[in-house]
Amino acid sequence: MSDNSAHGARRGGGFWALLALALVIGVLGAVILAGGAWLIALGGSWYYGIAGLGLVLTAILLVRRQMAAVYLYLAVWVSTLVWAYWEVGLDLWAQVPRLVAPTLVLIAVLCAIPALSSRPTARQVPA
Amino acid sequence: MRRTLIIVAPLLTLAVAAHAQTPSADTPAAAAPPASEAPATSTPPASAAPAPSSGAAAGETPAEADSPASTADATAPVAPAAPEKTGVDVARSQPAVGADWPFYGGGSGATRYSPLDQITPQNVGGLERAFVYRTGDMPTGTAKGKYAAETTPLKVGDDLLMCSAKNVLISIDAADGTENWRYDPGVSNDAIPYSASCRGVATYTDPDKGADEACATRVIEGTIDARLIAVDIATGKPCEEFGENGAVDLWKDIGKRVPGWYAVTAPPVVVRGIIVTGAQVKDGQAEDAPSGVIRGFDAVTGAFVWAFDLGAPDQNIDGPPEGETYTRGTPNMWTAAVADEELGYVYLPLGNSSVDYYAGNRSEAENDYSTSLVALDVTTGRPVWTFQTVRRDVWDYDLGSQVSLVDFPAESGSVPALVLPSKQGDIYILNRKTGESLFGVEDFTVASRGDVEPDDLAQSQPTSAYHTLRGPDLTEADMWGFTPIDQLWCRIQFRLANYSGFFTPPSADRPYIQYPGYNGGSDWGSVAVDTEDGIIVANYNDIPNFNRLIPRAEADERGLKPINETPAGAKGGANAEGEGDPQTGSPYAIDVNAGWRSALTGMPCTRPPYGGIRAIDLKTGETLWDRPLGTARRNGPFGIPSYLPFNIGTPNNGGSVVTAGGLVFIGAATDDLFRAIDLKTGKTLWQDVLPAGGQANPITYEVNGEEYVLIAATGHHFMETPVGDYIIAYKLPKS
Repeated sequence: MSDNSAHGARRGGGFWALLALALVIGVLGAVILAGGAWLIALGGSWYYGIAGLGLVLTAILLVRRQMAAVYLYLAVWVSTLVWAYWEVGLDLWAQVPRLVAPTLVLIAVLCAIPALSSRPTARQVPA
Repeated sequence: MRRTLIIVAPLLTLAVAAHAQTPSADTPAAAAPPASEAPATSTPPASAAPAPSSGAAAGETPAEADSPASTADATAPVAPAAPEKTGVDVARSQPAVGADWPFYGGGSGATRYSPLDQITPQNVGGLERAFVYRTGDMPTGTAKGKYAAETTPLKVGDDLLMCSAKNVLISIDAADGTENWRYDPGVSNDAIPYSASCRGVATYTDPDKGADEACATRVIEGTIDARLIAVDIATGKPCEEFGENGAVDLWKDIGKRVPGWYAVTAPPVVVRGIIVTGAQVKDGQAEDAPSGVIRGFDAVTGAFVWAFDLGAPDQNIDGPPEGETYTRGTPNMWTAAVADEELGYVYLPLGNSSVDYYAGNRSEAENDYSTSLVALDVTTGRPVWTFQTVRRDVWDYDLGSQVSLVDFPAESGSVPALVLPSKQGDIYILNRKTGESLFGVEDFTVASRGDVEPDDLAQSQPTSAYHTLRGPDLTEADMWGFTPIDQLWCRIQFRLANYSGFFTPPSADRPYIQYPGYNGGSDWGSVAVDTEDGIIVANYNDIPNFNRLIPRAEADERGLKPINETPAGAKGGANAEGEGDPQTGSPYAIDVNAGWRSALTGMPCTRPPYGGIRAIDLKTGETLWDRPLGTARRNGPFGIPSYLPFNIGTPNNGGSVVTAGGLVFIGAATDDLFRAIDLKTGKTLWQDVLPAGGQANPITYEVNGEEYVLIAATGHHFMETPVGDYIIAYKLPKS
């Protein structure tokens, strides 16, 4: 998590992996945000709109290689956990769509930590 | 038509007396009804005499005695003085279930309960295959994708008797599966209606024949090309004296012969020597569809005895006038009836009208009888009482289950009753003599009657205070998927659709959700009743349908045409029932997404379980245990098997057997497993992987002191299980 490791991974495999992860999360987030907005307009759950927004912001922070991406996504994930329990309790099958994919994303985001900077300003230096 | 059979009452009385003196040779006396109740004493012979011509009966009926049904829907529409039909036998003792499985539903009461107790929860783990027999009936050509044999054999003496998907009658040795004979009536692929199914056969022993005579006992089936066929139980040779060379043509008086529109898929039932059968009329084709008429035929000669034409019960009791047909488009009985030999009744679970999803053009008769259980007196061919489970059915909630006859343990003593399960999940307990519910029938006020035809739909619907298998209404949180994205997609569909809970009316402006869907609740597999311990075992589906009415112009654009306007056999069976049915004659066609599958993944839009099995205390209707039925091993997104052994609860079709040994045997689920469940706890104690789908009712029987359990693994196109031709028997290893 040091500046060195972050900069060292800058143009290597880690860089592209981070970009790919950001892209995947960004696309998922955009789809969920759009669908979630539609669902809100139809009078449905607000979860997807909010979670979608959280994913899009996470993707942006990942591209900017900011550690805040991890904290933000952690917040999304914990909120998801709370919401999922509130909605269907301990019904494991009902939890599959609610928790499996978000948890896989969480693992991916945690794996990206070495490529991230904890100081937002560090990334401001032009290459 | 053999109207010559109608003779005057005094002769009939003699005939009855003569029969009464003939002891029945074939029957263990277990369930023998008291002889004194045998002749139908309610018939006044004198008044019955001049009744031969059609229409003559109309005048004798006093006012229509629609009893002012308070909460119950039971009505007793029929006046007492109906002429008794000739050819009707006295009540005979019926063969008992045990070593044999003499009826489709096990014993004559169709409880699917066996007194056998050799296989127990303690030793069931050692169950092994005794033999595998293959019928050889597999789909070819246009029959591909249309097979769902749903075979349940009978076991009589040393033999198993069955019909294959396309009605090949087969007898095999019950101990080792060796084939004794087969008789192929040569059914064409064009005759396949929605599915090629032959759920079972019936037998009848002619009391006037010596045991060694040909066709002394005959095996009777109804075919999908609408014939009644009788063959000798020992040789499989057609019974010469039955119809024409062993067959009776059921297309007679139905109308233009359109293969596949009118087909028998259920076992016929024999009551007092009368074979009673209805037929499946392929759903959703047109208002001008073949009649749902129920007919009685002499079990010895195949001669027509009476017709119960819902639209013209009096006029057409002896058949329609020359050149006319039975009333078209009336509700049909595609499932199995049950005989009440003692009362001389047959209990007919009727389906809905041919056009399932639009009520506006229906006749009074259709409104009176659709989705009703009718007790018909076979001695007269007239209804005794009617119990309607859905008013103005626009949900295809056909009564699909065979009812079970029980002596109900009421507070005041034992009451001759029947158990009536429905697709909505409600289970009713009715008095067999009166049709009255022994428990409350509640009035459910619907939340909406919609915009399409609000005035033609009912404001309230009956539900049972005894028990229901139905879950609470769906909510957005019940939407499912594999990821948040497909779950979100289903939530959007949920919000876009019309849904006002149970009995949501059909709509055309947008899709609507029907829950439970048309697969039940309880479907043709019916329930099993342990009459010794007083336990009902019911497996059920828990899945919605996602439907939309299609305005006629749009339907025409899509080229939706009824079966009589399309080339024979043209339409593949791959589509689910109702997936673009024309409903010609009504303003709307219908589109059904059965099981509400996601357009994205093919997976259901609602959370599991999709099916379960439960035990219910017969006396109180309380649930003893309840569990999902079926693992996820064969299901997954995009149709890919997941191989997950988890008990997710899959859709299921086919019933169970309950044994005195304390076990429930059932296939039914889409995981291709055949399993033994502990009747006390609901836990699976043993299972075997079948080579094809187990969508069939299993049986149990005994040979040489050994108990066998048997199931047909013949698969089901609609349930998306592999099609096969396997008849698989199990028993314990010899110690």
